[in-house]
Amino acid sequence: MLSRLTAWRASLDLTNPGTVENLQKEVKNTHLTNYIFDGARADLSKTLSVNPAFQVTHSFALAQRESTPSYNFGAVFARDSFFIQGNADHDGNVNGRLNQGWSPSNTTKGQLQLSPRAGGNVLQLEHDYQGRDYCLNARAINPSPTDLSGVYMASYIQSVTKNAALGVEALYQRPQPGQDDLNISYLLKYTSSTRDWIATAQVQPVGILLASYWQKLSEKVDVAAELQVMVPPQNPTRRSAVATLGAKYEFRMSTFRAQLDSTGKVSALLEQRFAPTFAFLFAGEIDHFKNSAKVGVGVMIESSSLTPEEMGQPPYPA
Amino acid sequence: MPSEETNERIMKLVDLGRTVLHYGWIPLIIYVGYTRSNPQPSLIKLISPLA
Repeated sequence: MLSRLTAWRASLDLTNPGTVENLQKEVKNTHLTNYIFDGARADLSKTLSVNPAFQVTHSFALAQRESTPSYNFGAVFARDSFFIQGNADHDGNVNGRLNQGWSPSNTTKGQLQLSPRAGGNVLQLEHDYQGRDYCLNARAINPSPTDLSGVYMASYIQSVTKNAALGVEALYQRPQPGQDDLNISYLLKYTSSTRDWIATAQVQPVGILLASYWQKLSEKVDVAAELQVMVPPQNPTRRSAVATLGAKYEFRMSTFRAQLDSTGKVSALLEQRFAPTFAFLFAGEIDHFKNSAKVGVGVMIESSSLTPEEMGQPPYPA
Repeated sequence: MPSEETNERIMKLVDLGRTVLHYGWIPLIIYVGYTRSNPQPSLIKLISPLA
C-alpha cells in the first residue's frame, strides 16, 4: 500500500519547490533594497586559494548618513560541503555563518551575531532537508538550555502540481517561561512551466499579506514587483501598503538596477566592471515625499596572491 | 527540572562559550583557511590590505 503510494507520488514527477527561505530569492536579487548604500565605500578582497576557496575582505565605509565611518574585516572559507564565514568590525561586533552539508539533501547551518554590548547577541541553529518534491526546515534562535526559552521556527513546502507549491511556516516565540506565542503563515508559489516567471504569496493571520511577481524578460533583463499589505486585525482602519517595482539589467561588464516604490522613492544602482578585478559602484536614491536624497560611490578591488596557473586558468601561450 | 545550582552552572558555561566564539570565530576561520589552502599563503598577505 505504502509502496504504491510512493510509486504514485513518484509518477507525478514533481520538482523540488525550493526552500521557504528562498521563496522570494529572485525578487530580492532583482530589487536593489539589499544592495543600496550611501556615502563612500571601498571593498578590497583578496583570494588566497581557489580550491578550497579562501578569501579575505577589508571593507571601509565613510560619510554614511546614519553611521560613523567603519572598518570591517571578513573571511570566507568553503570546500565541497563545508562553508564558514565571518565578519568583524572595529567596534568588536562579530557575525558568522557555518554550513555543513551531510548529504545532498541534508544541511545544517549555524549563524551567530555577537556584540560587546549586552543583549545584542543572536545564535541560530537550523537544519534543512530537501526531499524530491518538498522542503523541510527547522530552526532555533537563541535557544536556552535551562528554561527552553527562545524563538523556534519550522517550515514545510510541498509541490502539489508541476507549477504550484503550497507551504506553511510556524513561528513559536517564548521570550520567558510561561509566556508564549504561536504564529502560522501560509505560502503559495507558482512557477511557470518554462521557469521564466514566478509568483508568490504569503499570508500571516496577524494581518500581513506579501505578494510578489518576478519575470525574466530576456537573457539580460529581469523585472520584479512586490506588494506588502498590512491590516492590523484589531484596527482594520489603520491599514497600510507598499508596492515596489524594480528591474535589473545585466550587461557583459556591468549590472544596473532601478527601482520605484509607492512611498515615493526612486533609486538606481550601477555596478560597472572596468577589469575583472576592478569594479565601480554608483548608487542614488531620491525620496520625493520626504524631499531627501542619498548618493553612494564605491570601489571593489579584487586581488590574488596566486599565479594564473594556480587559479586554474590556462597558461599564456608562449 | 534541573536544580537551581545546575542551572547557574549551565548559564555560566553558555556565557563562556559565547565569549570564546566572540574572540575565536575570526581566528578560527583564518586558521582553517591558512592550514587548508593550496598553496599556503604567507601570513602578511593574509592580514594586510595592501600586501
